[in-house]
Amino acid sequence: MGAAAAVSIHASDSSTAPGTGTPSILISRQLAETEQLSVGSTIRLSRGSDGREPRTFRVAGIYEPTPDPARLGATIREVQMHLPDLLDLTREPGAPAGSEYVETINVALKDKDDTDRFARDVSARMPGIFASSATGAAENTGPFVVLQRFHLAIAIVTIVASTVFLLALTIMLVDERRPTVGVLRLIGLPSGRILMQLFLEGVLIASVGAVFGLVLSLLSEGLINRFFQYHYDTTLIFVRVSPVVAAICVAIAVPLGVTATVVASWALLRRNGLRLARR
Amino acid sequence: MNAMSFAWRSLVRQPARASLGVLGVAAVGALLFDMLLLSNGLVVSMRDLLERTGFDLRVSATDAMPGQGPLIPDAVAATETISRLPSVRSAVALRFANATLQVADAGPRGLYSSFQGVAGGAHPWTILRGHDVGAGREIVVNENTERIGHLEPGSHVLLRASCDSSERQALPPVEFTVAGIAQFPFDTIRGTTVATSLAQLSAACGGNELNEADVIMASSQEAAGVDAAVADVAKALPALRVASNAEVVNRFERGGFTYFRQISTVLTTVTLSFAVLLITVLLTVSVNQRLGEIAALRALGFSRWRVVADVLCESILIVGGGGLLSLPLGLLLADGLDRILKRIPGIPADVHFFVFEPSALQIHLLLLAGTAIIAALYPIRVVAALPIAATLRDEVVG
Repeated sequence: MGAAAAVSIHASDSSTAPGTGTPSILISRQLAETEQLSVGSTIRLSRGSDGREPRTFRVAGIYEPTPDPARLGATIREVQMHLPDLLDLTREPGAPAGSEYVETINVALKDKDDTDRFARDVSARMPGIFASSATGAAENTGPFVVLQRFHLAIAIVTIVASTVFLLALTIMLVDERRPTVGVLRLIGLPSGRILMQLFLEGVLIASVGAVFGLVLSLLSEGLINRFFQYHYDTTLIFVRVSPVVAAICVAIAVPLGVTATVVASWALLRRNGLRLARR
Repeated sequence: MNAMSFAWRSLVRQPARASLGVLGVAAVGALLFDMLLLSNGLVVSMRDLLERTGFDLRVSATDAMPGQGPLIPDAVAATETISRLPSVRSAVALRFANATLQVADAGPRGLYSSFQGVAGGAHPWTILRGHDVGAGREIVVNENTERIGHLEPGSHVLLRASCDSSERQALPPVEFTVAGIAQFPFDTIRGTTVATSLAQLSAACGGNELNEADVIMASSQEAAGVDAAVADVAKALPALRVASNAEVVNRFERGGFTYFRQISTVLTTVTLSFAVLLITVLLTVSVNQRLGEIAALRALGFSRWRVVADVLCESILIVGGGGLLSLPLGLLLADGLDRILKRIPGIPADVHFFVFEPSALQIHLLLLAGTAIIAALYPIRVVAALPIAATLRDEVVG
């Protein structure tokens, strides 16, 4: 079960051993750093910003918060406590115990593939309660779907720019070999044979380029992640070169490189052999 | 013939490769331009939006963004206190809640809307049709609510407020009369918003949080200035947090949206490196193919500096041509990318991620000029160090 409440913290620097009846809490690393708290410190928490009716807790541990993209840039000052302690702390004066509510109930199913049926059952049996797969909820989070589209658009523009440059380069490289191709034509090699040779060269160069690109992206993956993790003080992964992403890149880069080589070569091979060989 | 004309003729002689080079630079330049627009766009846009509201001070209970922190107690009295300060022109208290409107096309669950309550003189919205809310049970609605709910000034609507998650659906519906159609500065593209007086909102909320607000917005007297107003409010109400628009923007800059600034820095660096590398390769291959021609020109009397100037001019023409094309391309691309990013939930319709600023154009031109020079360095070195006799002999023998 999960419930959350905004609580204020007062008197935080005492690390003297508390009495045995003091309830324990966990605090986030960022909170420990900003308030200079350590394991064993006692703190007082209140449900109101004015610090009324405070209760004393003992810091039992410091944890690294689960990375949350939605809280990027925020200093996560967070306290985790036992649910009964939180309900005691936040219950309205005069409200009977047991009348509180929780925001979320996390459920671990025996069969992970059973989520849809479970969600339907919950909705049917308990109207007003909405159940959804944790994975689905994360994937459907609006901002990240939009960011995914944004990065895809940037990637498309980059591919277009790369294609144009690649075509220009292959035209120049093929043109550089104009005399050689002319001589090969004059000694009797058919255009198809020369084109095949250039095609294989293109495959080789594009494959080596794609592998080099993947190595470069793997190296930059670490650099970019470290930069953003340092900047935002988070353990979130910003860039991940997954096997699927790598396969897509190779599937785009190699055919693109080969096509550019063949297109540039084809324009050259259509010319007369004598003209090609002429200096 | 000067170096620029000579470089132009060299490029025109091979139109396919020159065009492709220019197009490549245009595509990369467009991306670079967009990244520069993105780096500061959101902050500039947010600042403009805050300034357009006409209020330059924000007072809240804590440093949390309005609507995300605790409410200001006794907000009406606090607003009156602020209004009476000599450095303040006007002040208005705002309370944010949610509401479900029982309207025709919204289905059985109703139309879920943002619900605002105000207390004070000036209201932070613009009336488009009808009139502003009065003392009675009146609301103003935005155009999305008007369209979806088929509402018009004078319509009656049942509204069920949702002021705290624990009280959701527990509050009885309240009938309001639509006084007018209004434009709200922070509305999202598809957002539905309704607003009334703070007293009516509190009543719709069950009367449990009477006289509380999320934020008090105030405008300073021009003669006194914002800083003086901030100091006066902080002195008059020491328990509250007061911030000028600049401070709010600064907070906003430090928040999660710095991601766009960081990503633009990374992409600018990658794009520039990519452009330098490719233009260097293009020029180097081009120069290598013309080594004999360049050696012949040197033998005919062209100085070392002259052939160096030719290569540099060639680089400038490719990058310059591509750079010029990159501006309209970049603006078109920015429009498309802005549409994509504005689908992020909660982004006000008037906020843009890509905002044109003269400084962005200046940086763009500087970066392209730098790219043209750096990309030309290696081929310039090749040309400058070219041995004339040996190259000519190789050409003849080869």
